Amino acid sequence: MSSTSTVGHGADQLEGEPEPTRLGKIMKFQNLRTLLVLLAIMTIFTALDPSTFLTAFNIRGIVVNTSILAVLGVGTTLVLITGGIDLSVGSVLVFSGVVADKAMVAAGGQGWGATTLGIAVACVSGLAWGLLNGVLVAKAKVPPLIVTLGTLGAALGLAQIITNGLDLRNAPTVLVQTIGTGNLIGQLPFLSVIAALVVVIGIVLLHRTRFGLHTYAIGSNAEAGRRVGLRVDRHLILVYALAGLLAGFGGLLNLAFFQSTTIGGQSSTNLNVIAGAVIGGTSVLGGVGTIFGTVLGLFIPAVLQNGFVITGIQPFWQQVVVGAVLIAAVYLDQRKRANGSPGKLWSSLLTRSTPTTSTARKADSR
Amino acid sequence: MKITTVLAAGLTVMAAFTSATACSSADGSPASTKELHKLVFIQGVAGDGFYVSMKCGIEAEAKKLGATVTTQGPAKFDPTLQTPIVQSVVASHPDAILIAPTDISAMQTPIAQAKAAGIKVVLVDTTLKDPSVAVSSVSSDNLGGGKAAFKAIKQLAPTGGKVLTVSVQPGISTADDRTRGFSQAAKADPAYKDLGVQYDQNDPAKAAQIVTAALQKDPDIVGIFATNLFSAEGAATGVRQAGRQKQVKIVGFDADPAQVSALKEGTVQALVAQQPQTIGVEGVKQAVAALKGKTTTSSIKTGFSIINRDNLDSTGQAAIYKTSC
Repeated sequence: MSSTSTVGHGADQLEGEPEPTRLGKIMKFQNLRTLLVLLAIMTIFTALDPSTFLTAFNIRGIVVNTSILAVLGVGTTLVLITGGIDLSVGSVLVFSGVVADKAMVAAGGQGWGATTLGIAVACVSGLAWGLLNGVLVAKAKVPPLIVTLGTLGAALGLAQIITNGLDLRNAPTVLVQTIGTGNLIGQLPFLSVIAALVVVIGIVLLHRTRFGLHTYAIGSNAEAGRRVGLRVDRHLILVYALAGLLAGFGGLLNLAFFQSTTIGGQSSTNLNVIAGAVIGGTSVLGGVGTIFGTVLGLFIPAVLQNGFVITGIQPFWQQVVVGAVLIAAVYLDQRKRANGSPGKLWSSLLTRSTPTTSTARKADSR
Repeated sequence: MKITTVLAAGLTVMAAFTSATACSSADGSPASTKELHKLVFIQGVAGDGFYVSMKCGIEAEAKKLGATVTTQGPAKFDPTLQTPIVQSVVASHPDAILIAPTDISAMQTPIAQAKAAGIKVVLVDTTLKDPSVAVSSVSSDNLGGGKAAFKAIKQLAPTGGKVLTVSVQPGISTADDRTRGFSQAAKADPAYKDLGVQYDQNDPAKAAQIVTAALQKDPDIVGIFATNLFSAEGAATGVRQAGRQKQVKIVGFDADPAQVSALKEGTVQALVAQQPQTIGVEGVKQAVAALKGKTTTSSIKTGFSIINRDNLDSTGQAAIYKTSC
């Protein structure tokens, strides 16, 4: 009986409490830090080559090149916040691009009919892979690293079986000319507008809904979440399904952008997205992270690469600098955790559960 | 309080940005530096002997013709990595770009944007679905290269038998042509049976696995044609693992120092070397001609050198690719 009352109370707490101001502050501070790093990098490149770096053409290019990663970043951020990981996004993207291409060829035509079908097929395919990941993680209790490592190989392998390893290049003209390379108005690329829309929906979902709050709660302490009555398994399945859905949609965007399924080219997409999320302040231990931070985090490698190319620095340096930024970001994250602010925050939010210690959280987050 | 201060600082920086843009757009590009043509060479992949040798050719010829060159390249042979580099290079507005596209269709749009920005484009080594965006395409005659590779296998294994091709991945125009040339020549000769092509995604470990597995299935393979460096290295490893060095002759394409040492050791029996420096030299000539408003040649094909153990120390020496200029 006592457990029932705990459940009721905990749920009330979760629903009733609006966004805690301290949490909001920490999130904002984190994003501000990432933003400042980004601005600092941009200032340096602007100073080095003012006539080139800060031009509409160049900024547009950086934004377009980051758009697809940002779509994937929304899903990856949610998965990381639950304390999980999704390595399969790049392969799911390729697989979805391949089946969407096949479907659009089967439907025939270069118009919106085929394109709409392609979008639907890509999303359904991504969703299916995401559901598979989610069920294996939540119900079969296979660690997410292993599950998504498995689907990473399986999705890419199936894509290669379907295509014989030959990239498909049959995106309908209308898809390429609008989503792929077109502008909505002026110099505003269609692809980036779509990505921005996905990001905004993701932000609302994570920071303004109960779904988002539960995602944080589960990542912070899954056991506590279970005790206060959260349907942890179902929630995890939903989060992985969403990540898959976005990867599938990303597959269609990728097909529109490159006019090719880029089968060989997505082997490090997963790690690039995870790196962006972590640079943006999302913790791989779960419970902490923002989608806006991830987007900022994704821009840092993109801007570095762009700036290095423009200033004629050997491009290998980009990997060195991104590596250093990544480690620095996690170091700061760890220091903040050691100070206990997020831990205290969550134990105050879930007052009726056992006080969360940082070791308990680590053990829980697998 | 703290946050507001930082925010204020951030806004100041942003303000600085805006003024910087205003300045730069007002300035435009100064006319005084226009005498030196500014070229950029975008490699297919950075740090590969083939592209390093090409870079050497490009730099030498550019110096001769009074142009400056910077070189950029993706860490992998991959259009998703090359696209942002092309975009960044276009933003820096060089006079001409020499590029080895990493995909015949994926690189079409980024390179078309370069042309639209008024930059002269020369395609070196690989090409595009529609090469007309470039003033010139300079590459090896890869179909002929594939045929030459079959000739080399025929010399090494004159009695005939099964032959296999190990290539990188479909969609790379050069590798596709080499494969086709080899397969055409093999099919034309009734003594040989063409087992077709296997793809290793430019991963030597995967090439080794493919060759080991192929030798399990067809133990009587007499010759393997590896279309690029990593495929050759992997194929050599695979043959070594299977212990069939005596029976299986490997003909590699390209002549990096690693392949040359494999040739010396006897794991690879012949190399079909391209002439990357010549490609680079011709590419620069075409780019500069286009910038000076002279006529350009839309397609230039360069030849090959066959390196084997007999000519390695004499005529073959010059054909070996460089690791630095």
